[in-house]
Amino acid sequence: MSIEAINEQLLRAIGVGVALLDVKSFSFHFHNDTFEEWFGAPEEGAKLNDVLTELDIDALRTGLRENRRYTAETRFKKKRRTMVVAVDFTPTLEGEQEIAVLVCQNITRIRELESMIDSYSMMVERNNREIKREKEQVEKLLLNIMPRAVYEEFKTFGVVTPQLYDPVSVLMLDFVGFTDMVASADPSVTVTELNDIYSAFDRIGEQFGCERIKTIGDAYITVAGLPDPTPDHAKAAANAAIRFIRYLERRNSSHPNQWRCRIGLATGAVVGSVVGIQKYVYDIFGPAVNLASRLQEFSEPMQISVQDDMAVVLREQFELDSLGKRQIRGFDEQEVWRLHDSSRIMSQAGS
Amino acid sequence: MSEQTLFEKYGGFSKISRVVLAFYDTLLDSDDIGPFFDDIDMSRMVDHQTKFMASLLGGPASYSDNQLRQLHSHLPIEHSHFDELKVVLGETLEDHGFDTEDIGAVLQEFENRRKLIVD
Repeated sequence: MSIEAINEQLLRAIGVGVALLDVKSFSFHFHNDTFEEWFGAPEEGAKLNDVLTELDIDALRTGLRENRRYTAETRFKKKRRTMVVAVDFTPTLEGEQEIAVLVCQNITRIRELESMIDSYSMMVERNNREIKREKEQVEKLLLNIMPRAVYEEFKTFGVVTPQLYDPVSVLMLDFVGFTDMVASADPSVTVTELNDIYSAFDRIGEQFGCERIKTIGDAYITVAGLPDPTPDHAKAAANAAIRFIRYLERRNSSHPNQWRCRIGLATGAVVGSVVGIQKYVYDIFGPAVNLASRLQEFSEPMQISVQDDMAVVLREQFELDSLGKRQIRGFDEQEVWRLHDSSRIMSQAGS
Repeated sequence: MSEQTLFEKYGGFSKISRVVLAFYDTLLDSDDIGPFFDDIDMSRMVDHQTKFMASLLGGPASYSDNQLRQLHSHLPIEHSHFDELKVVLGETLEDHGFDTEDIGAVLQEFENRRKLIVD
């Protein structure tokens, strides 16, 4: 077999579509088997546009003239499959005659794969967004039961080391006659209102740098000076206590259900930690917690009782009355003070 | 730890992509089911097959029953078409080395959706 014959056989059988075209009329001089397999056999005298219907002939002419090359991608349906073929034209001289060599590569599979990767990556991205949202939900839940700094430690190490916070100020609030309220009124209404009130307390506390530790039924405990120490923790807790009462008074003036509370304030050391393995609770322990709870019992409705040590700090800024020396269960006998809302005293003095 | 899905068991996207393309080719070549895809754009068709496989094998996609019903409601799909697709699906999975037991599970999942697809 001669070299020419081998060349021609190769050209016919190669997996690339090849055609030779008249450069002026774009009629076919030659096409190989692969070309025919994809586009069908061009009829006698057929022009390029009859076969590759989507091709921009003007762009092809310009490309050949200016760049001596033109490449494009053409799509067509073969049976029901979309074929994508990359076409490449280069002009060349055959003796005296100028012809264009057309080489076609089948890039259908590449485009199909690209489509599949697009489709898959969109699914994965959507999934990732969902996972991220869920993670944020979990984080939000955990942040509801522990301070952020504690949560960060918990996330990093999987455990929380109990930590001593000294000094902090503890605010303990308890509602008057809550048990009766639950029994007499619609319990779901009562609980809904309780939720509103606790949410308001959380917002007020946040303004003064108090961290709500927990609620047990109608008892609400918040702490200033934890997890980050603050020098004016006593004032922060006193300010929050005064605002809690102001908030309740304003609320009571426009609501049928009257909410009245007692508040106790105490300063001291507490240990904060996550307790439990399956059901985590962040809690604080220490004499300041117990003392605040006892002091709360000394309060008349809508009044605030303050521990002696704390009263010393508050005196320069707040109005306080002594309730005298009191026996406190589990503690030494000590003086107890009543905290007043000084803005109210001022406005009363002015009127 | 959650149980491994078939999608993970058979090599994740890099392997499953081959199953998808083989399935896609078979569908287009089939004269029973193929005509449903006559006027469907290639990228949409590939998108559907990718999601179809991922859904059935527990990959990162899932169609709700309502979506499936809506997507197929305008098509005149008969039980014979559904049966044919089931055969093609089983063969494709077999060609790609899926265990008989796993193929059975996938085909059962597929069968469970018959009433959503066939009018």
